[in-house]
Amino acid sequence: MTPGDLGEDRALLAALRAGDGAAFGSLIDRYHSALLRLAMSYVATREAAEDVVQETWMAVMAGVDRFEGRSSLKTWIFRILINRAKSAGVREHRSVPFSAFEDDDEKEPSVDPSRFQTWTRWSGYWSAPPHSWAGVPEERLLSSETRAVVDAAIAGLPAMQRAVILLRDVRNFTSQEACEVLGINEVNQRVLLHRARSKVRAQLEEYLESAEASGVAS
Amino acid sequence: MIQEEIRCVEMVEIVTEWMEGALDDDTRTAVEEHLAICPDCTAYLDQLRVTVAVAADLAHAAEPGAGAEPPPDDVRARLVAAFLASRPSGGGGPSGG
Repeated sequence: MTPGDLGEDRALLAALRAGDGAAFGSLIDRYHSALLRLAMSYVATREAAEDVVQETWMAVMAGVDRFEGRSSLKTWIFRILINRAKSAGVREHRSVPFSAFEDDDEKEPSVDPSRFQTWTRWSGYWSAPPHSWAGVPEERLLSSETRAVVDAAIAGLPAMQRAVILLRDVRNFTSQEACEVLGINEVNQRVLLHRARSKVRAQLEEYLESAEASGVAS
Repeated sequence: MIQEEIRCVEMVEIVTEWMEGALDDDTRTAVEEHLAICPDCTAYLDQLRVTVAVAADLAHAAEPGAGAEPPPDDVRARLVAAFLASRPSGGGGPSGG
């Protein structure tokens, strides 16, 4: 939390405690869609995710007097969301959500091992190296189609990896904020971020290079 | 301790730690020395950075279903009303109710 955030938090908190509806509205404007997107990772339907977000806002209203400011308002709100989403996932008896908290792919390499040389003096160096994307037109990288590929790749990740990449890369949380929200340590957070980014990169690579092969980008 | 030379296959496993500034000095130096001579790993690193940049874009792109759209007005209004009703002194004035 920067000193600027802290000052902003204090002012916002004071306004909330004074019953300022506009202050509460500004929180909704700032975080509602991010909360909904995160919640959708943990429950089966959009409707259930909306319920989780609604519950989160209710808990924020109820907790605003007790909030002690040990974390930022933002991490406090997202932490409530994660806890509610966990409970909702359990209620749904979904097998995916938080069994996936212990991701089971620890031994999975970040890059397909066949892309590295083996049994040569250059063993461990690239045999099928990544191509530079410098030549991919900017408008292609910024296209909604490219975003959709990344979006789908993130949606396909195990729950914790998905949560970490959504917070860190999509929502620009610091590593400390992500740790606070998810209740994990820095090392775990980095491992999860690493796996998430590696997989999303691989899918983006597949997409961009298959498009190139079919002549779209050349 | 002398850090052994890093190979590409190891590079792709520690690149996030490097990006996060979490490596010890020896390993960090070894990563940077590798990057200085390996255009392939440099390309890999650039790809990761593009990946992060596209992910960051998701937060701003208001595509339907992308989860970046603002809350519907009625949802917002209902939540703000619930908030006002929840305040003991009814900060919004007479609640009428």
